[in-house]
Amino acid sequence: MSTVTAKTFDDVACAFPATLQEALELMADEKTRGRPLAGGTDLMVQWESGVLEMPERAVSVKHLSELRNIEETDGEVMIGASVTHMGIRRSPLTQKYLPSLVDAAATIGGFQIQTMGTIGGSVANASPAGDLAPSLMITDGTVVVASVRGEREVPVTKFWTGYRKIDLEPDELIVRFRLPKMPDGHREAWRKLGPRQAQAISKVMGSCRGHVANGVVKSFRVAIGSIAPTCVRLYDVEKWVEGKKLDEAVLAEAEQRTSDGINPIADIRSTAEYRKWVTGRIVRGFLEQLAG
Amino acid sequence: MNKVKRTWNINGERREAEIPPVRRFLDVLREDLDLKGTKEGCGEGECGACTVIVDGEPVLSCMLPAGQVPDSAEVTTVEGLEKTPGGRLLQAAYAEKGAAQCGFCIPGMIVSSYAMLSRDPDMDPGRIREAHAGNICRCTGYEKIVEAIQSAAEQWPAEAKG
Ligand SMILES: Cc1cc2nc3c(=O)[nH]c(=O)nc-3n(C[C@H](O)[C@H](O)[C@@H](O)COP(=O)(O)OP(=O)(O)OC[C@H]3O[C@@H](n4cnc5c(N)ncnc54)[C@H](O)[C@@H]3O)c2cc1C
Ligand code: FES
Ligand code: FES
Repeated sequence: MSTVTAKTFDDVACAFPATLQEALELMADEKTRGRPLAGGTDLMVQWESGVLEMPERAVSVKHLSELRNIEETDGEVMIGASVTHMGIRRSPLTQKYLPSLVDAAATIGGFQIQTMGTIGGSVANASPAGDLAPSLMITDGTVVVASVRGEREVPVTKFWTGYRKIDLEPDELIVRFRLPKMPDGHREAWRKLGPRQAQAISKVMGSCRGHVANGVVKSFRVAIGSIAPTCVRLYDVEKWVEGKKLDEAVLAEAEQRTSDGINPIADIRSTAEYRKWVTGRIVRGFLEQLAG
Repeated sequence: MNKVKRTWNINGERREAEIPPVRRFLDVLREDLDLKGTKEGCGEGECGACTVIVDGEPVLSCMLPAGQVPDSAEVTTVEGLEKTPGGRLLQAAYAEKGAAQCGFCIPGMIVSSYAMLSRDPDMDPGRIREAHAGNICRCTGYEKIVEAIQSAAEQWPAEAKG
């Protein structure tokens, strides 16, 4: 074991495994294990600024062909961990079945960040302001992680275990996301409120998936990011509104219950009061959109 | 030894480099390969001054580990633009419309323009602005830049596609 820490980018060794299996074997052994490196749009900044120490070794996963596909089964879309935000935007499968994920990916950085940054990197980075989280949460899908010991699935809603914490062992890599398709007749919506539209760390953002027929809410799922240490599903509001007819009184109460039901963080980007109020407005807007 | 060998096709020329794998591609271009046209602005992904094209996609060379640029990748930097009909057209349009003031953002800006038009020579101002949202210009307010790109798009040569 070495105690010397690399100090510049030039000191960081990096493996370029030819296959996923090879990558998992490198991760299995402490002597060859390295920091997974995908698009580098978080890591390169965090290493340079000292938020993270430069590691001795990285393991590049960006190029692994097993992690770069978007495929479908009957009920699901599978997105490889190294698919880029631009890849999500361009895929006919995500456009058709995961529209709020596509809209969210389109608001991440500029084109250059979108062609570099990946879904796996975004999820593993686990920032409460990570823009893909709400759209993943509302699918009730799973994160598939792998190691030489085999594959394991974790519900997306349980994968973020705390502020910048994820359910991943040191020898594991995220390999793909299994995301149930938006069912027929359902709709999704995405909203991001920040100081600037693109290029901004969001103040509050969220997604919903739902179905409203004849003014009655048949199903509703909503997730909001940037208000808590992790992105959160608003299960209480979802349950309360389901089965109700969307008149003004119900919309107003849904808004109020949303604001009252959350206990948002205050930070330099926004106050807790603002977040409560704006989250209520977002949820109300979502319900109106599903009805409209 | 902490080095990897890569062979790239940069601006139509075969270039070899033996480099530490996580050295920024920006530094490899400027220092190892003496291509100084690509500029460093912020060094943290915010400004777009360091934009280059790798296999058709615009990327930020200040946050790209050089080892991740795969062997035989096609790379276009601002120096390569004058070798292509589309690049020459863009340069002329930027000059004609007076799109540059201090000029600092321009190498990255025009590379983004080239990447966008090579993919799809669309003239819609909304799309042009979106494709350049990752390129910050502190001087011009973007109006002239959008006009320059629109003018280049109108005349975009068919052979420059792709
Ligand atoms: C200028 C700029 C603007 C940005 N704007 C936004 C924005 O608007 N919205 C937003 O949400 N984000 C934004 N980001 C953040 C960033 O782009 C995203 O979080 C995301 O794209 C990171 O993906 P990456 O592939 O670059 O990750 P990397 O930097 O390569 O890795 C990030 C983390 O994920 C881990 N990791 C990567 N792949 C795997 C894997 N397969 N298995 C396990 N762990 C893995 C790494 O070890 C690291 O901890 C921005 C970043 C910059 C620099
Ligand atoms: S120098 Fe690369 S984005 Fe600013
Ligand atoms: S011309 Fe000065 S920054 Fe764009």
